[in-house]
Amino acid sequence: MKLLVAVKQVAALDEDFEIRADGKDVQAEFLMRDLNEWDDFSLEEAMRIKEAATSPVELVVVCVGPEAADEALRKCMAKGADRAIRVWDAAIEGSDSMAIAQLIAAVARREQPALLFAGAQSSDHAFASTGIATAALLDWPHAAVLTELSYSPGARSARFRRELEGGLLHEMEIDCPAVLTIQLGINTPRYASLRAIKQAAAKPIEVLSLADLSLPVSAVGASGSLSRVRRMYIPEKGRAQMIEGSVEEQAARLVQIIREATGGAA
Amino acid sequence: MAASDTVTRVLFEDFTPSSVRLFYVIGYTAIALFAYGVYLQVRKYRRGAPAGISPGLLPRFRSMVATVLSHRTLARRDKQAGAAHRLIFYGFVLLFLGTATITVDYDIVGPLFGTHFWHGEFYLWFSLVLDVAGVLLAGGLLYMMYRRGWLKPPKLDYARPDRAPGDPDYDRSGYRREDWAFLWTLLTIVATGYVLEALRLVWLSDRPDVWDTRWWSPVGAALAQGMRAAGMTAASGGDWRGDLWWFHGMLALLFIALIPFTKVKHIFTAMGSLMFRDPQAAQRLPRVPAQQTHAGAQFITDFTWKQLLSLDACTKCGRCHEACPARAVGAPLSPRDVILSLREFANRTLGAAQLPATLELDVHGKGPGQVAMETLWSCRSCMACVEVCPVAIEHVPIIVQMRRKLVEEGQMDPQLRKTLQTIHKTGNSFGESRRKRAAWTKQLPFAVKDARKERVDVLWFVGDYASFDPRNQKVSAGFATLLRDAGVDFGILYDGESNAGNDVRRVGEEGLYEVLAEANVGALSAASFNSIVTTDPHSYNTIRNEYPDFGGRYAIQHYTTLLLELLQQGRLALARKLGLRVTFHDPCHLGRFNRGYEAPREILRLLGCELIEMGRCRSNSFCCGAGGGRIWIPDPVGADKPAQNRMREAAAIEALQVFVVSCPKDLTMFEDALKTSGNEGKFVVRELIELVREALAQPQSTPAAPIAPAAA
Repeated sequence: MKLLVAVKQVAALDEDFEIRADGKDVQAEFLMRDLNEWDDFSLEEAMRIKEAATSPVELVVVCVGPEAADEALRKCMAKGADRAIRVWDAAIEGSDSMAIAQLIAAVARREQPALLFAGAQSSDHAFASTGIATAALLDWPHAAVLTELSYSPGARSARFRRELEGGLLHEMEIDCPAVLTIQLGINTPRYASLRAIKQAAAKPIEVLSLADLSLPVSAVGASGSLSRVRRMYIPEKGRAQMIEGSVEEQAARLVQIIREATGGAA
Repeated sequence: MAASDTVTRVLFEDFTPSSVRLFYVIGYTAIALFAYGVYLQVRKYRRGAPAGISPGLLPRFRSMVATVLSHRTLARRDKQAGAAHRLIFYGFVLLFLGTATITVDYDIVGPLFGTHFWHGEFYLWFSLVLDVAGVLLAGGLLYMMYRRGWLKPPKLDYARPDRAPGDPDYDRSGYRREDWAFLWTLLTIVATGYVLEALRLVWLSDRPDVWDTRWWSPVGAALAQGMRAAGMTAASGGDWRGDLWWFHGMLALLFIALIPFTKVKHIFTAMGSLMFRDPQAAQRLPRVPAQQTHAGAQFITDFTWKQLLSLDACTKCGRCHEACPARAVGAPLSPRDVILSLREFANRTLGAAQLPATLELDVHGKGPGQVAMETLWSCRSCMACVEVCPVAIEHVPIIVQMRRKLVEEGQMDPQLRKTLQTIHKTGNSFGESRRKRAAWTKQLPFAVKDARKERVDVLWFVGDYASFDPRNQKVSAGFATLLRDAGVDFGILYDGESNAGNDVRRVGEEGLYEVLAEANVGALSAASFNSIVTTDPHSYNTIRNEYPDFGGRYAIQHYTTLLLELLQQGRLALARKLGLRVTFHDPCHLGRFNRGYEAPREILRLLGCELIEMGRCRSNSFCCGAGGGRIWIPDPVGADKPAQNRMREAAAIEALQVFVVSCPKDLTMFEDALKTSGNEGKFVVRELIELVREALAQPQSTPAAPIAPAAA
């Protein structure tokens, strides 16, 4: 029995960052990398199933990213993941969530897990689409934004709860294999001590290329993506001013401002 | 009183040979039981981990003997108990040596060489000394009874703050019974000894060499006079003596046989614990042994034999219980109870003939003898317990080693967990970007040298709180200005500096500590400087005492000694006397940990401040509550806090104007506690640096933080 957890190494902004020259991303030196917060919870949820199991359960983590992403995978192994896979190829640079889903789906076909976990979203790009897109590509059932899960290894289905608007709870059952995306707060993620992280540093991380997954270069990168970044920028701060004076003066000033903003059409 | 040369004490007079044989059989049995008991204890200790005691057995032995003979550690903070124990100790030692002398004469020198020395003048002096020894012993025992029975100091109350009444582990009445049994047994042995002596004198009153020299045994002689006055004849004296002799002898032999099985064993275990003490036990925590497969102390066998031995040295004197800041505010921790729990656990598991299965050796939990995580997380690692323990028990390393296991399993406060992750990610506990570490220098009208890029004389290790906390940043700016004004060639490491790791290590996150220590040692090694100064006592402690284990050996001083030098050399010229009525709070890591008591006081004197000491000062300073990572763990809502307790102590000083601190965490903790304890407006909390700045400033200029006048 196998569980597969897809994780992402996200970027967080440092103070006083700068935008890249091409205007499409923040300069890498201003980004601090860490494991996506949602993935802490999905990994923990998979760990709980593994630890409660009476028969052996293998927990595999997979991440699409360059060598620097090994740090995120090591953290997962420090917490108890048995094996880690990192998928990378220079052509993958610039992939959107649909292209990333292609890669994760390919790994899922290789590993044949009973459940594939993903975070409900990533904290940097927040598309909330990778997990769901992977399910579509695999043609597996999926459930998103889980707040409670119960599954015994070997069972044909899993039961879970989701929170709906208005304080409603949605209790459902899903057939395996399935893709589940996990919401924050579903559990309390464990602490990965530095000792465990150091020990995990000695464990191997399997690195797969496009060729290993039998995927063409066209499946990833700009050509494999369905969306493109046009630009990334800091919006101009909104301006506000207090209009003072008598009611007439205020009305006159307001009309003037509207005219200026609409180019005199009003 | 003519001392006949033949005078001696009768030993087995009128005994049948079989009675003498019986006595020897019982005597050897007692010794055999004693030896077996010693074997059991040694077997228990040997089941612990290797201790890695630093060499130098002879100096260790000498220092132990000096401590035992002087009773230095016992008399600290409890002169009466120290004096009473001194009486018991010297009385007991003299009586033991006396009995040993008889054995040497009667059983060794006599049978082997046919010579005897235990008679005549030597015997008479012997009698006198032993009679006095008995008085000393009885006096000490009676005081201890008075203390336990009537004085009842709170520290001798064995009620546990970490267990509820009704818990199987709550009742420590067994210890109380043992205490009384010990006192009564010894007192009975002394009393029957005197009566026996008197009966012997009455019995042998017709022998001039005995009766004429009776006043060499003054207590026995006085009793004998009384017995004769009451009409006791020599014959009835002899009869009584026969029975009492056996009672006294059996009780004494029983006492000897029971030494290794009862609290009496502290005679040996305390000496062992003192001899193998680690003078830097709390200052320099042990690394995780390389061969250990799990982190920290999880099983009783993870403790070293020295630690197991010291558990048995505890006499429940309560000094640590009294000194502990966590206990003082009602937290579920008493250092005494941690030690006693582990001792009971060790006795039950390691004391068994067969070592139980590993699972049964787990010392964590809420079962009998186990230590709960709430207890371990209450510790501030302030070292107050280690400092005051008269028998060199080292509580702090024991607690931290147990915490390491909790950290490994993530059993900690969520806030603490988050902070540790933050420190790993950013190198500081504030979660700020690395590059912002030196942002506080931007408020200065001059540039601070980057010690990574140019050579400096003095490298200032700033530390997290002084770098990131807005209130402390003002103090940092003040210190930088002082250094510049004094013409000190100094620099800082900018974003090359990481959290020094002192508190991370005391939390028990040893792996993260290693990362931080290695990062700082790397950054320091790459810089070029002559010595380090730090404004942070926590950083001071770990760089001074723990970085050497990571290859970082530096000359380092706390800012107080540097400022004192600058003031004494006239490089900083004081413009005026402050004339303030102040008290000084010794930071744990500057004072108790590193004995830096004098420099801040001397500076206060130079500033013209009137220093009024709090009751708990210097080595008995009371922790602000922030140590051991507790600054990252929220205190229970509504509960008293050590810092508030301290503010109340300070508020009791009449007309106090300034509560002076010399540690960034103290400034944060006490400024907060001043308000929450309801003492705001009575006095102010100030960093010593701020006072120095003010004394340098011309009266008309506005100091950075004006001192409010004390409320009437």
